[in-house]
Amino acid sequence: MKEVVKITGILTSTCIICAFLLSFVSGIAIEKIEMNKQKRVEDAITNLAPYAKKIEEVKLNNEIIYNLFNNKNKIVGYAFVAEGQGYQGKIKILSVIDVSLKKLEGIEIVESVETPGLGAKIKGALFKNKFKNLNISKTIECLKDDPTKDNQIKSITGATVSSRAVTNILNKKIDIIVNLVNKK
Amino acid sequence: MREFIKGLWREHPVFRQLLGMCPTLAVTTSALNGISMGLSVVFVLFFSSLVVSLIKNLVPTQVRIAVYTVIIATFVTIVDIFLQAVFPDISMALGPFIPLIIVNCIILGRCEAFVSKHSLSASLKDALGMGIGFTWGLFLLGSIRELFGEGTILGFKILSSNYNPLIVMILPAGAFIVLGFLVAIMNSLEK
Amino acid sequence: MINLILIFISTLLINNLVLSSFLGICPFLGVSGKIESAFGMGMAVTFVMTLATSISWLIYHLILVKFGLFYLEYVMFILVIASLVQMVEMFIRKFSSNLYQSLGIFLPLITTNCAILGVALFMVARNYNFLESVVFGFSGGLGFSLVLLIMAGIREELVYADIPKVFQGAALTLITAGLLALVFMGFSGLISA
Repeated sequence: MKEVVKITGILTSTCIICAFLLSFVSGIAIEKIEMNKQKRVEDAITNLAPYAKKIEEVKLNNEIIYNLFNNKNKIVGYAFVAEGQGYQGKIKILSVIDVSLKKLEGIEIVESVETPGLGAKIKGALFKNKFKNLNISKTIECLKDDPTKDNQIKSITGATVSSRAVTNILNKKIDIIVNLVNKK
Repeated sequence: MREFIKGLWREHPVFRQLLGMCPTLAVTTSALNGISMGLSVVFVLFFSSLVVSLIKNLVPTQVRIAVYTVIIATFVTIVDIFLQAVFPDISMALGPFIPLIIVNCIILGRCEAFVSKHSLSASLKDALGMGIGFTWGLFLLGSIRELFGEGTILGFKILSSNYNPLIVMILPAGAFIVLGFLVAIMNSLEK
Repeated sequence: MINLILIFISTLLINNLVLSSFLGICPFLGVSGKIESAFGMGMAVTFVMTLATSISWLIYHLILVKFGLFYLEYVMFILVIASLVQMVEMFIRKFSSNLYQSLGIFLPLITTNCAILGVALFMVARNYNFLESVVFGFSGGLGFSLVLLIMAGIREELVYADIPKVFQGAALTLITAGLLALVFMGFSGLISA
């Protein structure tokens, strides 16, 4: 009986000490981690839309939208983060659309864990640049051959699933954002 | 000194003892990832050995493994939080393989096999030796895979742009094959 | 339903834990010498993995998410796995000595099998719901057993082959695993999003 108490006691106290230590460490770091995430998004926006001089974060129906202003304080575009399931795990994409809501200015992959050498190519400039100036008044289509229309892109060879995941995630979110902004 | 040196070559954790295979194979798609994973393991191994060495006489044998893994898990979480806060890019590249350090057999293996039978200073030297041995093993494997798979090492272009990368080197199959050949080379050097 | 079948097939063949995520390599190299022991290990892992994933899911979503204790995720998961393995071991020893004879020796090794912890972590990263997690855990274990059995079959034959001395043992096993991984890549066209 005494043995059981001792064993349970030691295991429990180890867990409690560890939990305290961790809550302490994460308490210190949490601000920095949030800042890093924020910075990643802001860097991506300035990269895609260098003309945006001011970024304002607004919340519409639980969706976060970044309004982009030029130096005359006029809205010139919108940015938002879309998230969804890729081949290996979560993909997080930041995209910027122009003020008419018809054209994609570009995308940036902020987070992804796709297969190195194949799916990870969605992070490469070659793939991302295909989204520049894409027409989004229709759904974006992901083809295996070269695109013929302005709402189509060609998928990465050997990584069709990752490429499709990106377009699917974008299509879903663009729909929601365009509706929200139009209503406003 | 002997305790430190042996982990670097003669009892090398990766090439000789084949310990900690999951991170060895999984994160070595590039040299940088290899080093980051190696250093994270050095940190966890060092501090876990320290704590385990200090408390080993207090812990009853029945819950030994459970207590050790909780301690290891705590240090791994600290590394994870640290990387997220200070090196977010590395944290993203290593992804789920940081938490898997917990079950990296090198750490529990050293705590069980070495620390429990040796003094504190010997344990710490052993931990550092094993950790650094592990790190250079990962760096070597990562460099080879990055060189043939992308033509670069640590992001610097080594092979001319005419070189057509062997994507298979970065894929899982390449990891197994390169490591297999490295183990064979180490075997022949030993003789 | 179709979703569950997709998870099953993709975890079993396409994203096989051992060959594409490098989880559970240690037992894969260690216990794949004989078909019989490979089978025992595979069954033990499948059983513990399914249970561990279900329980970890419940704890993660009902306790950790609710109270925002995300930094305890790893400690919690490893505790669940370690105690589960211990409990299963005691349970089997008490109720079936036959089963204990065949599975018992593999159980202590399972605590440090990274595949189990890996599956729990992937389940969180991929945002699976409860049913999906159970299927994921189960098919993960089956996929592990499948590869382990194939490997054991190959290695039993390789014993009779004439192999250069430096390649004997681990080196050859690793290279065989590499070729097996290439073969399994052939499955990747099986499901197209």
